[in-house]
Amino acid sequence: MNIFYNVKAQWLAYVAFFLVLGLIPAYVDDGFLLNQMSTYGVYGLLALAISLCWGFGGILNLGLGIPFGLGAYGMAMTMQMQSQDSSNPIPPFMLNNSLDHLPMLWVPFNSTVIGIALALIVPTLFCAIFGGLMFRARVSGPFFAIMTLAMLSAWYTLILDLQPYTNGVNGITPPAPLKIGGFTLDPYSPLAYWTVFALLLIATFAAKLMTLSRFGLVVQAVRGDAERVRFLGYNVASYETAIYTISGLIAAIAGCCWVTLTQYVSPAQFDTTLSLSMVIWAGVGGRLSLIGSIVGAFIIMGAQSYLGDALLATWLLVLGGFFILVVRFLPKGLIGLVESLLGRFPVGLKKSNGDHQLPSGAMFPQAGE
Amino acid sequence: MALGSFFGSFELSSFINALILGVSIASIWLLAALGLTIIYGTAGVINMAHGEFIMLGAYSSYTLQSYLGLPFFLCVPASFVIVAAVGLILERGLIRYLYKRPLDTLLATFGVSLVLMQGVRLIFGSDPKYLAVPQIFQNNMQLGFLNISVFRVVVLAVTIGAAVALWALFYRTRFGVQVRAVMQNKEMAASFGIDADRVYMLTFALGAGLAGLAGSLFGVLNIVLPTMGASYVVQAFLVVVVGGGTLAGSVVAGGATGELQSIFAYFTNDTFARFVLFVLIVVFLRIRPQGLFAPSATRR
Amino acid sequence: MGTHRRDFLKKTALVGGALVAAPYGFVRNIDQAWGAESWVKKGQPIKIGVLFSLSGALAVPEEDSTLVMQYAIDEINKAGGIDGSPIEPVIVDAKSDFTVYSEKTKELILRNKVVALFGCYTSASRKAIMPTVMAQNHLLYYPTCYEGAECTQNAICTGPLANQHSKDLIPFMVEKFGKKVFFVGSNYVWPKESNKNAKIWLQQAGGELVGEEYIPLGSSEFGPVLNKIREAKPGFIFSTVVGASDIAFHKQFKQEGFKVDSMPIASLTTGEIETRAMGNEFGAGHFLSAPYFQTMDNPTNHKFVEGFLKSKYGKNGTTHYNMEETYISAYVFKYGLEKALAAVGYDALTPRAIRDHSGGIKVEADVAPEGLIWIDDKNFNTWLKPKIGQCQADGSFKIVKSADENVAPDPYSIYPESGKCTADGLVAPDGKIRKSVI
Repeated sequence: MNIFYNVKAQWLAYVAFFLVLGLIPAYVDDGFLLNQMSTYGVYGLLALAISLCWGFGGILNLGLGIPFGLGAYGMAMTMQMQSQDSSNPIPPFMLNNSLDHLPMLWVPFNSTVIGIALALIVPTLFCAIFGGLMFRARVSGPFFAIMTLAMLSAWYTLILDLQPYTNGVNGITPPAPLKIGGFTLDPYSPLAYWTVFALLLIATFAAKLMTLSRFGLVVQAVRGDAERVRFLGYNVASYETAIYTISGLIAAIAGCCWVTLTQYVSPAQFDTTLSLSMVIWAGVGGRLSLIGSIVGAFIIMGAQSYLGDALLATWLLVLGGFFILVVRFLPKGLIGLVESLLGRFPVGLKKSNGDHQLPSGAMFPQAGE
Repeated sequence: MALGSFFGSFELSSFINALILGVSIASIWLLAALGLTIIYGTAGVINMAHGEFIMLGAYSSYTLQSYLGLPFFLCVPASFVIVAAVGLILERGLIRYLYKRPLDTLLATFGVSLVLMQGVRLIFGSDPKYLAVPQIFQNNMQLGFLNISVFRVVVLAVTIGAAVALWALFYRTRFGVQVRAVMQNKEMAASFGIDADRVYMLTFALGAGLAGLAGSLFGVLNIVLPTMGASYVVQAFLVVVVGGGTLAGSVVAGGATGELQSIFAYFTNDTFARFVLFVLIVVFLRIRPQGLFAPSATRR
Repeated sequence: MGTHRRDFLKKTALVGGALVAAPYGFVRNIDQAWGAESWVKKGQPIKIGVLFSLSGALAVPEEDSTLVMQYAIDEINKAGGIDGSPIEPVIVDAKSDFTVYSEKTKELILRNKVVALFGCYTSASRKAIMPTVMAQNHLLYYPTCYEGAECTQNAICTGPLANQHSKDLIPFMVEKFGKKVFFVGSNYVWPKESNKNAKIWLQQAGGELVGEEYIPLGSSEFGPVLNKIREAKPGFIFSTVVGASDIAFHKQFKQEGFKVDSMPIASLTTGEIETRAMGNEFGAGHFLSAPYFQTMDNPTNHKFVEGFLKSKYGKNGTTHYNMEETYISAYVFKYGLEKALAAVGYDALTPRAIRDHSGGIKVEADVAPEGLIWIDDKNFNTWLKPKIGQCQADGSFKIVKSADENVAPDPYSIYPESGKCTADGLVAPDGKIRKSVI
């Protein structure tokens, strides 16, 4: 049997991967690099969310920018309010929009705890509602993907238009880094890196556990053939909504981290190009593998940072071409290469891992997806 | 001022002009969506590069005009042919292998759109290009208080012409019968001796050509830029989704959304109108997820 | 199985946690790692960062800025550089992506250790990088018109502010075309702020606002707006529509039957590049307010236009006002650096020191193609002369009015309750000073 499908081996690979990532700050003390790698960690979270939703759940979500952006805005509002005090009670941009008191929308963000909670809850709630509405109407597959894209544009327009509340296209720039308690989180410090790292670790392990659980089994079945699962008596819409919402939560967490690192959020977070890029990362890395997608994000964003200037105008051309090749020839992404490679060295018949008879760690692509 | 009042002043003459304008906007959206309708309706392919086909049509017209001196009314059908050829190459080279994986065609065509956009940018540069039209198209027509620009009338005429031609193609020709058969059930049609591959190839080329046609007109109405296609893609998709993937559906959906956009914009402002329209579409799809006139076909 | 898994996880978590926590003790203080070196060394090239988009949607205005910066740097280096050292530009492509802007800013400051940054076109990209610039106490030269309402201690801006831009244009248009005006703009901050300023000038000129509409960014459907304009019958239109929408607006304006002689469009953005893109028949007759036009008739401008278009950087064929604003920012930097070096010397030179010594710096008429300008010593924007040009049938602009005196930049002109921007920060009416206000 291909060791790629062995669950224990997979866990080992995950642990090793995170070990390597975690040890990086020990060898790197360049603030810029740490910050850059922390942002890659955020991209990894986003790729993870896509992989969970699309690779594992079979739901192509082209609008992951929505929870990402909403989480980012929530965190930005929290951080902005941290800089306001009694002598300077409302953010400066509001004064320029003729607001003389803090709008109701912003009042809860006075408290850091409530602000962060809202930054996570609101996007998750939105995903639950939107997903619920769509899946209950049995809108799925490509139609759903288009609807997420349309919803993304709608949010972009909305946030842009609500200029007095969101500062429109200029976005919100909290003047100081995040403060928790009396403690400031410097975006260039190893601590910021480890915070993102810890969140990525927890999210990945939680997602992996989910894929191995009974819930995960049903979700995979839905991905394979939703109609059949429906006939078996399961409420397909709730499973789809659940996986969509969970991936939304992960994206919201990513959004919060993002603002902590860059101190900036704007409607550009809701750009279709950004959301489509997230899908590319997962697609190139291998959407069926959680780690594959994360690595895909690292590879592409790393290439953009380091090769992007060398290639200048042709970078997007290369990216597009590369993506076409991957979709056409490597539907399982780069991790598919690893899978085939490991398939050449099968490990002897192993006893099954407890009650998981099905190779649930291997997420096969099904026909018609 | 504009954001505050929901209902601005109402004047009958300008409201009627807004209604006429709505027809024009509808024709623009429909023209942009026709190619996509054909491709999606027949093969179930979501072509994310559709916007770039439109853009290629505009650039084809520009190149023909600037370098070969072709008059505008010849550039339009020439753009149709050129972009149809591009679509043909794309279908044979890439799409053909992905029919069983609809989500993957979506992503692959997204890659194609990146390549096309960047390719055009590298060849032509990022700056906007100028597309010349005959003098007669630069004015407007006035009938009493009714006002419409001549070029919008041209676009409307082309849209109607294209829609009628497509209807005739699908319902009055042998090829059309084949297409409809393949749409309903590919395997059954193949067992009757219809070359489904060829049908797919030709319909994809046709859809691409229609996009090119639209682009050559839009380049005059608006602007010729490598990024011009992006703004038409989402609108076109919404028309197709609301219409359900059939020709009749797209016509009605395009008509309704275009007209509503104009009416909302008349009473409020463009931004709000766009947002309200989005919300309405989402609600509509919740109520009727298969669209207005969905084809009676195998489940997708 | 459940116990196995839980056990396994516990062990992994403990081991992982220990491994992760251990190296924390070994990490050195980041500040120490690179704070010791000086920014500029005598005899060594002076590194600056050029951060514009060379690809993507913003490439059209921004690529030219990079080209003209290179031209200016070549010119300065040929004349001996700064204190004998040449300027070495580090040019990066921001790809019209704000995440790239943010990342490249950090890279330029922290890794390349440039002593100043030149960049950004849209306010959104400027806002994206300012937190980094301010946190690192660095210096950004922002060479484009913008809405103001900022008081940072780390930026010098060479483009007109909202209060300078339309000051002469509105009264001039009211005088020539009548009291009624319709405002059309793209739906974001800069047009809205510009319109707020314009309303004040309009009121002072005795005009009347008959409509105000905002179009979604990037939209090219102007039918509904033109319909409303037709109904409102203004004497002229004041446009703050930007980008591709601007071109579509002018085209549809003519196509819908509006006559430029009776109801022209007066804008703050439609310059030579836009007119060339839309076609001269659509651009002719409209008005633009800018501090610079390619057709300006003075020896400095002739030298600039000829020299630039002949050079290897002049491939795009025009010298747009945005490009000229970028050109002079290079000279503002040169004079500022010279002054700072003379004051504090090489070892103590920091980007902030350059900024602090740049107050009052003049770029004389023999260097600046737009004429004499100088940097305000309080808010570090530019005193310039806005001019009004009318587009001719061949696409060039004829200057129909020029301000007599340089106009003072005032970023908070319409928000007096916010205070006054000084070199140390924003001084509120109650005397409290706030720094880094964006």
